[in-house]
Amino acid sequence: MMANPFEQEKAVEIAWCPGCGNFGILRALKEALFELGYEPHQVVLVSGIGQAAKLPHYLNANVFNGLHGRSVPVAFAIKTVRPELLVVAESGDGCMYGEGGNHFLHAIRRNPDLTVIVHDNQVYGLTKGQASPTSEEGFVSKVQAMGNFSTPFNPLSIAIAQDASFVARGFSGDVEGLKKILKEALSWKGFALVDVLQPCVSFNRVNTYGWYKERVYYLGEDHDPSNRLQAFERSLEWGERIPLGIFYTHLRPTYGEKLYTQIPRSHLLYQGMLSQEGIAREFQRLM
Amino acid sequence: MVDWSIKVGGAAGQGVQTVSEILALMLKRSGYYVFSLEDYQSRIRGGHTFTHIRLSDEPVWAAKKYLDLLVCLDPLTHGLHRHEVKERGFILGSFVPVGDASNSHHFITIDFEKEAIQLGNKVFANMVAVGAISAILGLAPELSEAYIEEVFAKKGKEVVEKNKLAFRRGRELVGIDPVLPQKGSIKSDHAPQFLLDGNQALGLGALFAGCTFYSAYPMTPSTGIMNFLASRAKEYGIMVEQAEDEIAAINMALGASYAGARAMTGTSGGGFCLMVEGLGLAAMTEVPIVVVDGQRPGPSTGLPTRTSQADLLFVVHAGHDEFPRFVFAPRDPQDAINVVRRAFYLTEKYQVPAIILSDQYLADAKVSYRNLELEEIPDFLIQVSDSSEYCRYALTPSGISPRVIPGGRALVVVDSDEHDECGHLTEDLGVRIAMHEKRMKKWEAMKKEMRMPFYAEGKDMTLIGWGSNWGVLQEVRKELRAEGIDAGFVHFNELWPLPFGLREFLVRLPLPVVVENNYRGQFADLLERETKFSFPVRITRYDGRPFLVDELRERVKEVLHDGQSV
Repeated sequence: MMANPFEQEKAVEIAWCPGCGNFGILRALKEALFELGYEPHQVVLVSGIGQAAKLPHYLNANVFNGLHGRSVPVAFAIKTVRPELLVVAESGDGCMYGEGGNHFLHAIRRNPDLTVIVHDNQVYGLTKGQASPTSEEGFVSKVQAMGNFSTPFNPLSIAIAQDASFVARGFSGDVEGLKKILKEALSWKGFALVDVLQPCVSFNRVNTYGWYKERVYYLGEDHDPSNRLQAFERSLEWGERIPLGIFYTHLRPTYGEKLYTQIPRSHLLYQGMLSQEGIAREFQRLM
Repeated sequence: MVDWSIKVGGAAGQGVQTVSEILALMLKRSGYYVFSLEDYQSRIRGGHTFTHIRLSDEPVWAAKKYLDLLVCLDPLTHGLHRHEVKERGFILGSFVPVGDASNSHHFITIDFEKEAIQLGNKVFANMVAVGAISAILGLAPELSEAYIEEVFAKKGKEVVEKNKLAFRRGRELVGIDPVLPQKGSIKSDHAPQFLLDGNQALGLGALFAGCTFYSAYPMTPSTGIMNFLASRAKEYGIMVEQAEDEIAAINMALGASYAGARAMTGTSGGGFCLMVEGLGLAAMTEVPIVVVDGQRPGPSTGLPTRTSQADLLFVVHAGHDEFPRFVFAPRDPQDAINVVRRAFYLTEKYQVPAIILSDQYLADAKVSYRNLELEEIPDFLIQVSDSSEYCRYALTPSGISPRVIPGGRALVVVDSDEHDECGHLTEDLGVRIAMHEKRMKKWEAMKKEMRMPFYAEGKDMTLIGWGSNWGVLQEVRKELRAEGIDAGFVHFNELWPLPFGLREFLVRLPLPVVVENNYRGQFADLLERETKFSFPVRITRYDGRPFLVDELRERVKEVLHDGQSV
């Protein structure tokens, strides 16, 4: 069997805690990219800040590790300028839904051909345990000392409400299942959200591997991802039973496809300064 | 020499801009040099708005306070600006009170709207006004009518004819002999060919530089750049994205630049505040970017439609920790074209951000030129690489690492965290020092790139300015010299880093007077800090309006008289 080219020869020291849910996501992503036949130079991973955002450093690919919450605008521009590259934006729930919430909403509106992977552990790990946008009500931390008062952000419901092109949820405790979802998402043409339930072994004592294993199940044959209302209904399910899988799909033209009807895609890559004829034409217009 | 100042005023939505735009272009066509300056409020209809138009048979770069002709589209204009009209100057409009006591003015009473209605629609009121103004000035009617045909051709023959009728009606009603010598009928080799404003010019500069990506959030006064590039997007293949906010705008531009586009973003000071995080990202990742800050008064939202030069110290220092960047401030629209081209070249050569300080005055003022000259600027092409050894931040003696874009087998890894030579994040303090020194090391070479300021000698005193004050300072110098004061003039359009050898240059200047549109004299402060040479005499204006030629000349003379700072 051929070696996975996304595995690093000279491994970078991984800064995650032992047992961290991020390891499952890293494995699933590496394998998904390999099994889909990509080579590292064809892939750009864009991330924000936080423990999850370090993931691109732990595999072989092009990397833009930017600012907290800002991975999506960066990824959008890279993909639109270079549509031949596979672009993945990945980061944690604080990064994507907290600081990057506005960008998340507007990216859905634009529908660029991106895969967005969110390591959703319902806590801020790197800053040591504050509530995140997806923390449950009552979650206690040093900051939310009396319990979190706010209603958690529901990324799936919001994405479906905004008619996102592809909406899915995975669980990092089931690498095989997650890989399957990631392969679908990476192959999808349009904005694909994969919210990954990912236990934080250091700061989230509630949503543990065991807690998830008791609750998660995959959406069955009876679920029709093209049925938006049904998808919305399933996205509200949270508690005793937590569904995983592809909730919603709606294939529609991507931002790039619309743009390239006006501008040849090859033009967006810098080709040199404007020609003398172009300059002369512009001068003529000014006269 | 012909040197006329006209002011057209009215409520927003009444057509002040239409009248002045058509008039400015007609004047240019007729062989005059034109300078026109908009003054408007942050509202869509109502309020008070006006345009200064100055025309001359020599190049003009700034507005004057005292008027030869005031055109009133509403009564408020008459009330507010009547006192600016020179003795024996003209006031045109329907609101001129009959038997006004100040009979030192010529009144020409025409009810533009009433005349237009008689022609079928009040929309023709503006053309009646244009006709009347052209008769007062004595513009050749054939040239003006040919221009009307061009402008309205798309709207059909009937619209063309109606506008011509309105224009002729305006001319007929004036009933005086033209006050200026007939121009235009003679084809002059010295007549201006181009008329453009700063935003158009900034857009043109980007277009000529091969900019392929522009993202911005609309903000006065830089929205015009986005409008211009959007108007050329399809023809030249430029992606123009209206971002959800300025943070997204700069991050998009950085993503595009990383991917291999030539990327620019534009905003005003408030938006630049939001972009500062991204500016630091550009510095840390060493991804090239050009950012335009169209200055307006603040802090906060301030005066959205007015002008200012008060973001200088902010943009020079913006961002946490320390990193080098270029800061430019174009002197006028022609210069703006070249400054943008140079900014693109330098941001790519040094892989540091380049900031262009524009302002509302530069952005909106229209200036006419005989020729537009393009400076020779080297092209800069980046490529993909197949080297498996490639490291984005390879240490080199200059601090500049070879840059490639993704797509080749060489992986391009960039990081906002401190990183090693291959772009991977690190907490190794030795690597940190090496990387920080690598970035800072570019500074010395960047300083060598910077040009000495423009200098025109004078024995008695020296006016010093930067950015859009070029024009007014140049004209003030000319007027002072005409009065026997041998004034010199120093102008900076490359602000940061300051070039080597500046102190030696500055110490030789007789009586330097720094002129700026901010409270403290920020550039003077910066010069003092960097050159250890002090500039005690400063003239500042910070009410949101630009310096006018005659006003500034008087203030300079006061300073010379008192010998102290004002």
